[in-house]
Amino acid sequence: MGRRYARRGLGLLFEVQTADRPMMSISMRRRAETHPAAGVKPFVEVAAGPGGISIAGLQEFWVFREVLWGFAVRQVKIRYKQAVIGIGWAILQPVVSAALFTVVLGRLASVASEGKPYLLFALAGLVAWTFFSNAAGSASESLVSNQSLLRKVYFPREVLPLATVGAALVDLVPGLVVLAVAAGLYGIAPSVAWLAIPLLILVLVVFASGFGFCLSAINVYYRDVRYALPFLLQLGLFASPVVYSLQAVPGRWRELYGILNPAAAAIDGFRRVFVHRDWPDVSITLGALGWASMLFVLGLVFFKRLERGFADRA
Amino acid sequence: MTTAIAFEDVSKHYRGAEYRMFRDDLSTAAAHLLRRAPPTHDVVRALDGVSFEIPEGQSSALIGLNGAGKTTALKLATRIAYPTEGRIRVRGRVGALIEVGTGMHPELTGRENVQLYGRILGLSRRDINERFDRIVEFADIGEALDRPVKQFSSGMQLRLGFALASHLEPDILLVDEAIAVGDAGFQFRCVARMSELVREGRTLILVSHNLSAIETLCQNAILLRAGRVAADGNARDVVRQYLQAVQVDLAAAQGRESTVRQGSPLELTKVTILDRHGNELDAVKPDEPTTVRAHYRAHERIERPIFSVGLNDGQIGCFTVASMLVDGQAPAVIEGEGHVDCTWPSLPLFPRSYWVWLSVRGASGFGDIVDWQQVAVFSVVDDLEATGRGAATHSMADAPVKLPYTWRFSAAPSQGR
Repeated sequence: MGRRYARRGLGLLFEVQTADRPMMSISMRRRAETHPAAGVKPFVEVAAGPGGISIAGLQEFWVFREVLWGFAVRQVKIRYKQAVIGIGWAILQPVVSAALFTVVLGRLASVASEGKPYLLFALAGLVAWTFFSNAAGSASESLVSNQSLLRKVYFPREVLPLATVGAALVDLVPGLVVLAVAAGLYGIAPSVAWLAIPLLILVLVVFASGFGFCLSAINVYYRDVRYALPFLLQLGLFASPVVYSLQAVPGRWRELYGILNPAAAAIDGFRRVFVHRDWPDVSITLGALGWASMLFVLGLVFFKRLERGFADRA
Repeated sequence: MTTAIAFEDVSKHYRGAEYRMFRDDLSTAAAHLLRRAPPTHDVVRALDGVSFEIPEGQSSALIGLNGAGKTTALKLATRIAYPTEGRIRVRGRVGALIEVGTGMHPELTGRENVQLYGRILGLSRRDINERFDRIVEFADIGEALDRPVKQFSSGMQLRLGFALASHLEPDILLVDEAIAVGDAGFQFRCVARMSELVREGRTLILVSHNLSAIETLCQNAILLRAGRVAADGNARDVVRQYLQAVQVDLAAAQGRESTVRQGSPLELTKVTILDRHGNELDAVKPDEPTTVRAHYRAHERIERPIFSVGLNDGQIGCFTVASMLVDGQAPAVIEGEGHVDCTWPSLPLFPRSYWVWLSVRGASGFGDIVDWQQVAVFSVVDDLEATGRGAATHSMADAPVKLPYTWRFSAAPSQGR
């Protein structure tokens, strides 16, 4: 076969070693120029066996990055197309919850709020948590709710949960604005610590994606996930320091807790930045990012392993 | 010749149960623990050891009865689904039209869908924009382009889908059944577009029940039967083989008396196609007498049963019907076993496959004794060289009947002198 590659787009070469367990390996290039008849294109080979992570797969993902963007844009558009108050929902959700928690927990139960107004304290936690919960939740549904695509078109399937998390980022923006405005109203001015915000968001994005990889894949096989998910996220709300302070966790457990639950690290970070004008805790934040990245990779491995059955089961 | 698609001993099994619940797996696991035989799951073998190769630039058809594995094969070729066993190699970009609405999202507008699907096929934004006008023109959806696709009629969705798949520079175009949905004008344009792509050296794989389309459009055909390759070769020969298989199945179905209404007094036992010497055949010559013979068994005396026999070429409706309702030749009475012959002195038809339909009505024309149904298939064979391959290629959406005619040219009187 000629090793000449023609035409733009998707030219992939997989070489498959067929032993008892066929493995996909791995060389892949994009085609160079444009004429359809020019040159012999390489084969894409697919052999039976479970899927997995490969260099070729990652390179192919890169080829499909525009699809990721396309799906994310699509989801944002769809979400707001028929919603009357549109992006207002992204503001309403954390604000109303914060007000409710302020009355119930701040006033009635007098939960400690690090010496700051409970409303602001809760809002900081809720903006971060709402993003995580929406991103992780909709990512977990992303395969099942796009089954018509799964059954009809090929693309690397991890695009769907990732695009969903990406689309959720759009909702985070108005939330952040509200948080900044609320802080301003309480007389808390912006500070350089705001520079840490992207890092905190990254922690949440990586964690939500890893979570989404696992649950979306399981969801295809077991629809029970659909019923378990709201319950799981409800538990997560209380397992994270949203309505209470990270300081409420005993000192020697605090760091471990913040790392193992990356959402806790991000929530505490949001609070330090927006409410205390302080930098996030370095070891907790980086530890959480590391742990979230590990979950991300494990989730992706799990996802790719199950990926080949998605179209049959979705 | 270079291979575009190769299937090497490919099998695809589906678990019979549509959904797997966690409790099913729990019970399987429990059965293992208790060392009992786990509950068995039905396995559907959609494909079973299928091997074939399709060379680059060839137009091929996948044919077979429903459930033979045609769509599964396409899904494997596009990497939508993966094989259970074996290996598949595909060279180049694949444009696929599998079911109506492939790759389109109902909430997005036609325009947005073009952009998204183009990206899924691996084209850049600029590539898509370059082809945008041609796609829109081909799809012919006009104003609707900026409406959500969910408001499209199924015909419009189909047109847009086909326009997309066929204009975004696929090296290989896979079309599943879809062209059956469009109106005649669109079908014609689809066929024209497909032959254009084939002429450009692209590879076409068509899945269809429209045998006449296959005979005209495809060089090669692969016949699938219960997930296995039953024949692979010249399209005309394979279609012939398929028809013979269908004949056998139809005969078997009639043997099982399944085509008769419960409690019907009249039962069709067999329908055959005969030549002028009374020999059974499945390929007839257009200029020779052809007879459809229906064997029946009347369980009671039936007065003036009205037989009707119609012909079509796979499209909706028959293009000719011989009916005793019209010609008033119903027999006074039938009882017991017998047969009825309907003979055409000639069948001036283009060479394709045709279906025979038959019904029997009661005396006054009311009430079906035997429902209107397909009872036999035959093909008309003619010297193709005489009609020309090009003519055949574009005649898929055209009328099947060939009446005698003549052409005469007269030069228009020239304007000057």
